[in-house]
Amino acid sequence: MAGHKHPSYFKIYIILLILFVISVAGPEIADIFHIEGATRLILILVTAFGIAIVKAYYVLAYFMHLKFEKIYAPYILLSMVALMAVFFFGVAIDIMKDDGHHWEKTYEEPLVAPGESGHHEDAGHAAEVTAHH
Amino acid sequence: MAEVATQTAHQDGHHDHEEPSFWSKYVFSTDHKIIGFQYLFTGLAMAIIGGFFSYVFRMQLAFPGSSVPFYGVVSPAAYNMLITNHGTIMIFWVAMPVLIAALGNFLIPLMIGCDDMVFPKLNRLSYQIFLLSTIVLIASFFVPQGGFGGAWTSYTPLSAKAEYNGTPFGAPLWLLAVTLEIVAFLIGGINFITTTMNARAKGMKLYDIPMVVWMIVIASILFMASVGPLVAGAVMLFFDQVLGTSFFDPAAGGDPVLWQHLFWFFGHPEVYVVLLPAMGVVAEIMCTFARKKLFGYKMILYSSVGLGILSFFVWAHHQFISGVDPRAAYLFTTTTLLISIPVAIMLFAFIATLWGGSIKFNTPMLFAMAFLGEFLIGGVTGIWLGSSGVDVYLHDTYFVLAHFHYTFVPIAVIAVFAAIYYWFPKMFGRMMNDTWGKIHFWGTIIPFNGIFLPLFVLGASGQHRRIYNFQNFPDLASENFQDLRIFATGSLIVLILFQIPFFVNFIVSLKRGEKASRNPWKSNTLEWVAPSPPPHGNFGDELPVVYRGPYEYSVEDREEDYWPQNQPPQAAARS
Repeated sequence: MAGHKHPSYFKIYIILLILFVISVAGPEIADIFHIEGATRLILILVTAFGIAIVKAYYVLAYFMHLKFEKIYAPYILLSMVALMAVFFFGVAIDIMKDDGHHWEKTYEEPLVAPGESGHHEDAGHAAEVTAHH
Repeated sequence: MAEVATQTAHQDGHHDHEEPSFWSKYVFSTDHKIIGFQYLFTGLAMAIIGGFFSYVFRMQLAFPGSSVPFYGVVSPAAYNMLITNHGTIMIFWVAMPVLIAALGNFLIPLMIGCDDMVFPKLNRLSYQIFLLSTIVLIASFFVPQGGFGGAWTSYTPLSAKAEYNGTPFGAPLWLLAVTLEIVAFLIGGINFITTTMNARAKGMKLYDIPMVVWMIVIASILFMASVGPLVAGAVMLFFDQVLGTSFFDPAAGGDPVLWQHLFWFFGHPEVYVVLLPAMGVVAEIMCTFARKKLFGYKMILYSSVGLGILSFFVWAHHQFISGVDPRAAYLFTTTTLLISIPVAIMLFAFIATLWGGSIKFNTPMLFAMAFLGEFLIGGVTGIWLGSSGVDVYLHDTYFVLAHFHYTFVPIAVIAVFAAIYYWFPKMFGRMMNDTWGKIHFWGTIIPFNGIFLPLFVLGASGQHRRIYNFQNFPDLASENFQDLRIFATGSLIVLILFQIPFFVNFIVSLKRGEKASRNPWKSNTLEWVAPSPPPHGNFGDELPVVYRGPYEYSVEDREEDYWPQNQPPQAAARS
């Protein structure tokens, strides 16, 4: 991509700095002004994580040159992120919990391997069917 | 100058240009063909080791406790080591280097009409790392307490602590070797993808790329996208083994099932990584010897892409009884059954390619057709195993073992032989003997079924996979079970003996085979445009220009039944 103009990296650095200040300031403001409840959650999510996504975009687009690559480069990156998500959600149900009903581990791991807690199938059912016949 | 007989029996007999030294020509070469041969010969040498291991442990199973000829008495630890390294070698050091690396390196630049890989030095680095990994693996057999014996899947917590697996040196070396091998193929894969996308001959559009090249590229992409978790897992396991961490140790808060996830997230796409190039080989050979256009080129291509995507959603079908969430079992059963659709499409397309063709039954074609039949058995038994309910019973029995040998042997043995017989004239400039090839074919296919069909029966009767001596288990020690085991072992010995004609044929043909013309099979693809064997730079001064797809056989109104990709259209008008 020899043809493209280099962006002003200094400018992007300044933008990232300002975003950083906002992402630090958001949770601080929530503390200082004693904002509670849903408003607090939204404020922290938007300023900390929302801004982090924007910052990640700037880093990927400019410093990792994805903006100047051919269009498939970002798609390759996105598909790899998607695969990571597939892996995470495929594994999480086994790793983060044992019985499949909640996502937090709120108890001590039992030393016995999981698997025997399952309900036993009604064994008489099959016999009943044949008896009827 | 290419006719100068420089064929040498020991290594890579080949063309010379400016008389470079032996070392720069064969050992540190950056020529894609030489690197392909290096991979091929390393892979074949490892196949001999892996085959010998299978002979030793099959003898132990058939005649437990007796002294095995050429080996001696097999101890339980040695048995574990043989089983583990048989699997590891056959998958990582035979199927991968021969199908992906050797064929990819040799064929891609020739088939897409360029002079070499786009990153020749990276290519050389890839082989050197692979060679290092081979040395590390072989070294691991000779360290104190012997090579690693925790099965090729290396399940934790057995593999994580030396006090469980009994191989304090063998296990880390094994892990290191596998990781190095993966690094080597990552580097190679970068090369394959970049070369195919950027260095195609003038006029070669995406749908003009021969199927085997597409398959190797898709396989490389799959490999790249799937190895991340395995490398991460390998580092964690290495730390567990060497530094005393507890990623996979439940007693200290780790999770052994995590390793299975990390391993199979790679391990299942890996199956398709080796399957796809084999399918590509079969496609090329079938079109050439059926003298027919490949049926459903685009359909096969889309199916293989779909197969690749689906292959990332099936991994937990290896773990149905290791305590995965039951809802996950439901999901993974569904995806596993779905993945048989693209494979079935490909097999149907190959059968449809044969339909109405004028088939020539020579050795490569026989192997290609055997691939279809044998792989079908492997695929259909896989559908049973993919259903979680059935798998609960059949898991870790010889049924599973027979199933995956019915997939892997067609891939790594039958398709590889097909490829060697088919491309031998191009690789070494001489023909292999067809009669001996056919003897080798029947001597391979019949004993192969003789080995693994009894194992289906044994597995369905409940014979567990990882048992050293079945005589210790009254349920499995009966006479008729033992007869089946002896039959399987006998078939294996016959199979191994019938490989001797192949090696003799190979070496004799290198030296004294009939000289091959440029295009002995009258095939269309570009590698047959280059001289046999192709010189350094492949096509001489002028690279070929492509005018059509790779499978224009038996086109109406043409005198010849083939139409090479590089033949200008006006030359065709003479009919």
